[in-house]
Amino acid sequence: MKDTLITAKAKKRELIIFAVCLVAAVLVNVYAIMTYETQWSELYSMAGMVVAIAVFFYLVQWIVRLIVKGAVGIYRLVAG
Amino acid sequence: MSQDLPSRKEFLKQLSFITGTGLLAGSVPGVSFADSLNKRNFSANDRVRVGMIGVGSRGRYHTIVMNRIPQAEITSVCDNYPPYYERAKELTDGKADAYWDYRELLEKDQPDAVVIATPPHEHAQMTIDALESGAHVLCEKNMANTVDRTLDMYEAHKKTGNKLLIGMQRRFDIKYLQALKMIEEGFLSEITQIRAWWHRNGDWRRSVPDKDFPDWELDPEYPSLEHKLNWRLYREYSRGLVTELGTHQLDVANWFLDTLPLSVRGTGSINYWEDGREVYDNINLVYSYPKGVNVIYDSLISNKHYSLEEQVMGPEGTLEMQDGKYYYEKPPPAPGILQLISDIEDDLFGVTPLGGDSWNPQRAADTSGNYIVEEYPLPNRAVLQDEAFIESVRQGEELPDAAENGVYASVAVILGHEAMLQDKVIPWPEEKLAKRIDGYRIRPEFKS
Repeated sequence: MKDTLITAKAKKRELIIFAVCLVAAVLVNVYAIMTYETQWSELYSMAGMVVAIAVFFYLVQWIVRLIVKGAVGIYRLVAG
Repeated sequence: MSQDLPSRKEFLKQLSFITGTGLLAGSVPGVSFADSLNKRNFSANDRVRVGMIGVGSRGRYHTIVMNRIPQAEITSVCDNYPPYYERAKELTDGKADAYWDYRELLEKDQPDAVVIATPPHEHAQMTIDALESGAHVLCEKNMANTVDRTLDMYEAHKKTGNKLLIGMQRRFDIKYLQALKMIEEGFLSEITQIRAWWHRNGDWRRSVPDKDFPDWELDPEYPSLEHKLNWRLYREYSRGLVTELGTHQLDVANWFLDTLPLSVRGTGSINYWEDGREVYDNINLVYSYPKGVNVIYDSLISNKHYSLEEQVMGPEGTLEMQDGKYYYEKPPPAPGILQLISDIEDDLFGVTPLGGDSWNPQRAADTSGNYIVEEYPLPNRAVLQDEAFIESVRQGEELPDAAENGVYASVAVILGHEAMLQDKVIPWPEEKLAKRIDGYRIRPEFKS
């Protein structure tokens, strides 16, 4: 098995992507609070759920990127 | 729900909130017990000298507890039944002086305080004699078997200035204190009904030994050893389930409602344990309180499925004291984000709600209740009671309304028994209490 090298650039990219997912999850929480007229204290009391949703977003985008990368790879292979 | 629970040490210091509720007879401003006959002042290292009168089942427990309280020293024990007499000596490793007659204990040992755990029909004279001898008294419930003797005990307490605490341990249960706080904060909105019961499955009998005890004579008031040991089953000595069990729960009702019954009605029967007993094995009572509030009480000793409980109900919620839980009538909605996720799931998977609150994506805890006190385990309330009694004797501080609350619970259950016996509505003895309880004011419902 080969060694895997994760570059600093790659780490930085993934961290930024996760940060974006976290912000999106917070915005979802804000939307839910406003829509269902619940308490603003849920901004922090539901922090665990927000992190879980951020992880979910990250996994989804990771799968999408994997699929896109796979599709592009196949296309290049087929195209020659 | 806020839970600023005091530590054990703080709890014992805060004697004023242990029993005081501002009930009718409540505080008589400026009354001091500085003229108590028991004029001993306790220094920080002094121990309260305690005499144990009655070392049967409950008395044994008190003896064990008192042995473990560093500020107490059991200096004398008394019981007039040989096995209990011997047991009392063993429980104190022979260090306490042992007596057959409580009067001899009071005269010779002159304890600072006594714990009286004999059958209820013996409580009144023992308590009065102890108070008049200069001792503070912790007396097991029920105070007495008649209203007049209950009041005689109270009057001796007031006349002598010595403390009188009746053994209703729920007043020292942190769970109950927290529940009272919730009620005062408006959790229920108001109490509209209390339902309490105590069910057991057993004949309530103690075994009677076949053997004789040499050089021992049965007290003349009992026709047989069976009557002495199974006093709970005979009307001359006991009022049965209502006084032996119901006292605790009716006291809670008085406490939480912060008022007293207006009347009581009920019915009782012996419908299972037909073994020569005289007290009912099945009782059902309704106590009517002011503002149309009813307290419904039943006790049964032929089925234990539902065990015991005090349900305190109001428009906004319910408290179940034995389970230690509270329930919202209208549970708060789930957090917005959970409702959003639930709605998205419904849209994606087409889940059809069954309708009603049972489906509602509420927190599961809302339907299974929340604990009144989340800490576990809690200090033993019976131990706290004994500790509080000793501490009040040492500090010279009165336990507010302790004796009065004991009187009210005692009277409530005595009347309940009368209601069943006479098969009629028995009114609360308002005028009698107004004449004999300091500060008791006749309520509007009784004014013509």
